[in-house]
Amino acid sequence: MANNSGGIHNFKVVLLGEGCVGKTSLVLRYVEDKFNSNHVTTVQASFLNKKLNIEGKRINLAIWDTAGQEKFHALGPIYYRSSNGAVLVYDITDEDSFQKVKSWVKELRKILGADICLVIAGNKTDLEKNRHVSLEEAETYSSKVGAIHFQTSAKLNKGVEEMFLTLTQKMLETVQEKEAQNAPLSRQNSQRRNVVVVDDDQVPPAPTKQCCGNS
Amino acid sequence: MPIFALQRSYKYMMYATKQPSLRINQADLKCKNGCGYYGNADWDGYCSKCYRNHMDQERQRKARQTHSDQAKHQVSGFSKFEEKKRQQTDKKNKYLKSLPVFRKTSNVKDSGRPERHLDLRQANPDADKLMAEFISLYGIWGEMVRKDFFKCVQSFTTKIYSELDNKPIEDIAEMAQKYYNLYNNRVNSTQTYQEVTTEVREELLDFFEKYVMVSLYSWLFCPPSTNDEEKDLIIQERIRKLSWVNAHHLDCCISETSIEVRDLVYTAITDLLGMDSMKAPQEKLSCVVRCCRSVVEVLQHCQGGPVSADEFLPALIFIVLKANPARLKSNILYVTRFCNDTRLMQGEAGYYFTNLCCAVSFIENLTAESLNMPQQEFEAYMSGEITSVSAWESALVACEGMHQLCEHLALLKGLSDRTNSVQENTKTLTEDILKLKEEITEKVTAVLERTPLIIKPRKTPEDLKIEASTQVAAIKIEVDESQTQNNFYLQNLQIGQNNLDETKTKLQLDITPCISEDKVKASQSIEFLSPAFDAQSLDGLTPDDQNSLSLSKINYDIDFSDLSGENSVAELTPEKRKSPSYTPDPFSPIGSSCTITQVPLVPSQVEPKPKDDFVLPFLEDNAKKEETLIDKKEDNAITNLPSPIKPMTSQYSGFSKQGWQIPSIPCITGDFVSTNASQSSSQQSSSQDN
Repeated sequence: MANNSGGIHNFKVVLLGEGCVGKTSLVLRYVEDKFNSNHVTTVQASFLNKKLNIEGKRINLAIWDTAGQEKFHALGPIYYRSSNGAVLVYDITDEDSFQKVKSWVKELRKILGADICLVIAGNKTDLEKNRHVSLEEAETYSSKVGAIHFQTSAKLNKGVEEMFLTLTQKMLETVQEKEAQNAPLSRQNSQRRNVVVVDDDQVPPAPTKQCCGNS
Repeated sequence: MPIFALQRSYKYMMYATKQPSLRINQADLKCKNGCGYYGNADWDGYCSKCYRNHMDQERQRKARQTHSDQAKHQVSGFSKFEEKKRQQTDKKNKYLKSLPVFRKTSNVKDSGRPERHLDLRQANPDADKLMAEFISLYGIWGEMVRKDFFKCVQSFTTKIYSELDNKPIEDIAEMAQKYYNLYNNRVNSTQTYQEVTTEVREELLDFFEKYVMVSLYSWLFCPPSTNDEEKDLIIQERIRKLSWVNAHHLDCCISETSIEVRDLVYTAITDLLGMDSMKAPQEKLSCVVRCCRSVVEVLQHCQGGPVSADEFLPALIFIVLKANPARLKSNILYVTRFCNDTRLMQGEAGYYFTNLCCAVSFIENLTAESLNMPQQEFEAYMSGEITSVSAWESALVACEGMHQLCEHLALLKGLSDRTNSVQENTKTLTEDILKLKEEITEKVTAVLERTPLIIKPRKTPEDLKIEASTQVAAIKIEVDESQTQNNFYLQNLQIGQNNLDETKTKLQLDITPCISEDKVKASQSIEFLSPAFDAQSLDGLTPDDQNSLSLSKINYDIDFSDLSGENSVAELTPEKRKSPSYTPDPFSPIGSSCTITQVPLVPSQVEPKPKDDFVLPFLEDNAKKEETLIDKKEDNAITNLPSPIKPMTSQYSGFSKQGWQIPSIPCITGDFVSTNASQSSSQQSSSQDN
């Protein structure tokens, strides 16, 4: 749910993917910049917050880890409902995990449509010699379904930061587009709000800027 | 608001996966009406809009039905309401309550209404408490804030209450959400709240939600118009049937014997059970958060490192199964409906609540496949054919004694483990000690082999020789003097003879501590002196003897040499003179005292070689030195001492520079010390050898 209270965007990002593809490692690398789980200070790695500042906009990313086991697949909709973005992780050495990503994409597009920003991450690039999922295949598929493809390595800290940053930017664009669309409909409401949060409300000019940028 | 409605429909979709399939087909999700929106099991498979239409139609149809039917419908509704009250005190009677016996046949619509109104106006103790709390917390913000707050609360409660019978609970939930937003806007925009700080505004919103929900709790929680209660019973029965599921089945690593883990599990279970006793949605939510935090701690204890969702969800499922919380479904639905959406959708609380929903959904759809066991086994477990007794069973079901027994067993196991480890350590320590002993013995023997202990003749410190040579000159002079003074000695002959015995005994006594020095000096002095002496002693004979004896009183060395010289001269042979010290007169007191220490030290090979008398003592010394361990270093000193004897050079070690330096120390006592030290060290080594 992209809440915009006091100029802060709250984005919910859900991590999906088969077990053992490195979902938790990715988020730990991103939030804590640690790989070895022994050095991580957080008690739990299933729910993590990351504060960002993009183009002067304060963004709070809530990253939700999900259980990757096959038996919990059916619980996916409960996890990803009302999320702004999803990171679909697969292991480049494991063809099955890529097929799993495909099924997730289908499901997400079916249920959440274009509202959700998708990022497909081929993790474990440090094991390049054991690669089983070709880069071209993954990239072609990603562009076909409107997702951004990234190659990452949580171990070597490659591509992780960029991936989350790009996703955040994309989510921001989507939200702002939506706001621009809804602006005429809920004018009364937004006007009333704007009166109060005038000091730290940087968002109203932003959508118009974004519109210009898009057109 | 189509988007909002859609979002809400997703929100309820979490309960849509009733069928035991692992995947959701699109057909399952779509609205039954075929409008293209997604449906929900709670809405009979319709989407929210179609369901509302459907319900309206139903209501109209029912209204057209006979009065008795309508009455009956209402009665059943009220009976449920009654049930709820009793349910709180006794859960087991639930089954009975649904029986028609308990249904009242009278028209309760009229009697129920005023009763409820009365309830609302009646002093609600919780609401009163909250009102007092409000005044104490936010009273400082002025009368206006307080008035506005209660005005909003009043309007909210009246509105909801009036709509309670006409609208399905979902619509009421929507209304509540709208009210939350409304109050949010009001707090953030109106003049009344201008002075209130941002944090307090948030708190006020929270408090508003709390207050209205506590006031309306009895109508909004598990409302009679829904089948929440049936769902509660279904899930309760389901969990009861699944009581045999343990941590192992769920692939989660909760160690069942650790006391700490068990305590944490109890804490988690208690927190989860506590959810039912809370009234405000946020309080229920905080119970869930506490429970989940305990679960995370449990996992930390069991595996260490950060806890990921892969481990967290199975553990939470396990906790839910073991806790079997009362009215679980009602609680979850209540929170979903009436908790402020913004809170539920974000933050830790939202995440944990989502996980709880997942756990419940998983339990509802649990199959043999999801536990990785064959269908037959699963069915056997479910029907009670197989019963499993785990540590948890004994801890949660059986008596306290059993529990203690388990704990004690675990304790004993730990103790025996420790004892074993101690014993092992002892063993290794003993082995180490033995090894060390062997090693030491080996090393000692190796060292002994490498450097065998040979008892060598005590070496003469260089300074003594120099001294001796210098003394030779002095002695010569003295001897000359003594010769010139012969007359004087002769005069004192009587006294000297008297002293002879005394001197001899004295000598014997004195020689022992400084034997080497004396001996060497003696031998040296003999050789040096002998040419001069020979004639003299031969000529002088006894008086000479007397002279030397009396001389001994003046100079020890001279006396000594004189004496031995006298002795050697007496049975004079050229050979004897060459190596005078080797064959001292066995009968002479000095000779006998010398023999004791001297004889074994003599290198035999030196003897037969014809040598110059002057070189021989040096050679002798050098030969000895070469063999002694201490002097091995002093090899380079060979050039310092020109030795005419070539065959000896190989053995000859010579004097080191240090060796030359030592004699420069004029202090004689120091030399004594050094010789004594070398002596004592050799004695020590020999004693060690023994």
